[in-house]
Amino acid sequence: MNSEFLIVDGVTKRFGGLQALGGDGGLSFTVPRGTFLGLIGPNGAGKSTTFNVISGVTKPDTGAVYLDGQNLSETRTPEIAAHGLGRTFQTPRAFPSLSILENVIVGADSAGERLGAVLSGRWRRDEPKLKEKAAAVLNRVGLGSRMTGSVASLSGGELRMLEVARQLVRDPKILLLDEPTAGVDPSLQGKLSEILARLHEDGTTLIVVEHNLHFLLRIADTVVVLQNGELLAQGSPQAIRSDEKVVAAYLGNDHAA
Amino acid sequence: MNVEAFLVAVLTFGCLFSVLTLSLNLQYARGGMINFGTVAYFAVGAYAYAIVTQEPPSGLDQYLIGLNGPWWLGFLVAGVGAACFAILTGWPTLRLRGEYLALTTFAFAEVLHSFLLNERRIGNGSVGLANVERPGISWADVPDSYVFAVAALLLMLVTIAVYRRILASPYGRAMDAVRDDEMAAEAVGKDVARMRFEVFVISAVPIGFAGALYAMITTLVSPDLFTAEVTFFVWIALVLGGERTMLGAILGTIALVVFQEVVRGIPFETVRSAQIAASVEHMLTGAIFVIILRWQVFERISFARSQAE
Repeated sequence: MNSEFLIVDGVTKRFGGLQALGGDGGLSFTVPRGTFLGLIGPNGAGKSTTFNVISGVTKPDTGAVYLDGQNLSETRTPEIAAHGLGRTFQTPRAFPSLSILENVIVGADSAGERLGAVLSGRWRRDEPKLKEKAAAVLNRVGLGSRMTGSVASLSGGELRMLEVARQLVRDPKILLLDEPTAGVDPSLQGKLSEILARLHEDGTTLIVVEHNLHFLLRIADTVVVLQNGELLAQGSPQAIRSDEKVVAAYLGNDHAA
Repeated sequence: MNVEAFLVAVLTFGCLFSVLTLSLNLQYARGGMINFGTVAYFAVGAYAYAIVTQEPPSGLDQYLIGLNGPWWLGFLVAGVGAACFAILTGWPTLRLRGEYLALTTFAFAEVLHSFLLNERRIGNGSVGLANVERPGISWADVPDSYVFAVAALLLMLVTIAVYRRILASPYGRAMDAVRDDEMAAEAVGKDVARMRFEVFVISAVPIGFAGALYAMITTLVSPDLFTAEVTFFVWIALVLGGERTMLGAILGTIALVVFQEVVRGIPFETVRSAQIAASVEHMLTGAIFVIILRWQVFERISFARSQAE
């Protein structure tokens, strides 16, 4: 019954005169619970727009996105996040005035973010637990030794991992990663693919936009290919690799052997 | 110059206006909101106190309401009134950012000023409400001015305590996140709109209390007292002290109050010398600002302290 966890239903989006997403019928695809979905396509295919529509940053012109039966297109972004949907951004975002550890802790929904709890001081009990969890997550992404440092000391790749850590501390039900390996060195990439494989095992639904197909096609179990804002193909990595349309549109003719 | 009166005045107004600067510091430095209508919440507090405590209109009075209530009720209503005005002004404007919010809040304050000036049924229009009631608190021979100085100090200390409690909590952490990057904060479930609104309303409450205290001290509320100059005064104090710490906000305010009181205390023999002094005051003010801003005097003092903590 709940196999169709995420449903993108006839979504269209125009920016000015440009049709960013969806042709005549709009963009539609479904993601069963627990899927590791790779989202690929040439530059300008609408991958990031799709992400923004799913996570509520951008509202679609027509169509809707449903998560677990809830219409996300009518839900505000923070509520979508509270609903268990996590995402990272194509350009990593951090909070420079917070320490690296705090950058992760702030990802959790602390009771202390309610004013009533603040004034009564009730939040103090939960704080050590949050810290511990954030520290464990930072260790997982390879930033365990940098906890007290400032965000400014992190490289681009480390910032990406920090953003992943901030989402992991929330235990998301569905996690969207926008180009997680861009600017990340091979050793961290190895860590990242381990983390993703582990999340996948635990039943987290994953959607990953990635240009690094070597990385993605090895670990994803389904791939959606976009072109000009429309669905070009959906299938297993093997099927996508041998799909002629995809090969021509995206992988280039060199791969067409 | 009477040194004692000078010190009492500095303490009273230094603490009173520090409450405004601290609130602005919370809104701006931590909440990322530029409020250029600070005086409006101050005025609402003062008028609310006057209206609740004054006697019903008689004779030449043009105002409609005088509840003749006790001073503490007036004080409480001042805080609530300022919060209500913050809800009224914050709800439609907080979606704006940066200078657009600054312009809108400034406009709201001007509208309120004009309203108080022209709608005589609120507070006698330009005449204002004179003889605002003072609380009948007196300890033996202690003069009223001392009581008000202590009250201002207490109000400031309580404000600091509450703000510190907020900022040191996960709420403060989330506020920093929201100010740093709204999109990333929303991606981890922080309700940016709700937090901005809450901070805006909470920080208006002490400003309203300060307005009530101000009305008690001056025993007069009139539109003349609540012009944009008050807002600028508070902003200048905040800039002087540096926005990074609460201590900076207080130092900046006290420095500004000391300067004003010193100038006010200089006796003049002739009108001519008063005119010269007035021009010298402007030049000196400018020079001092340049020096303080160039070398960030107060910001260094307060920042060094917060680092040492």
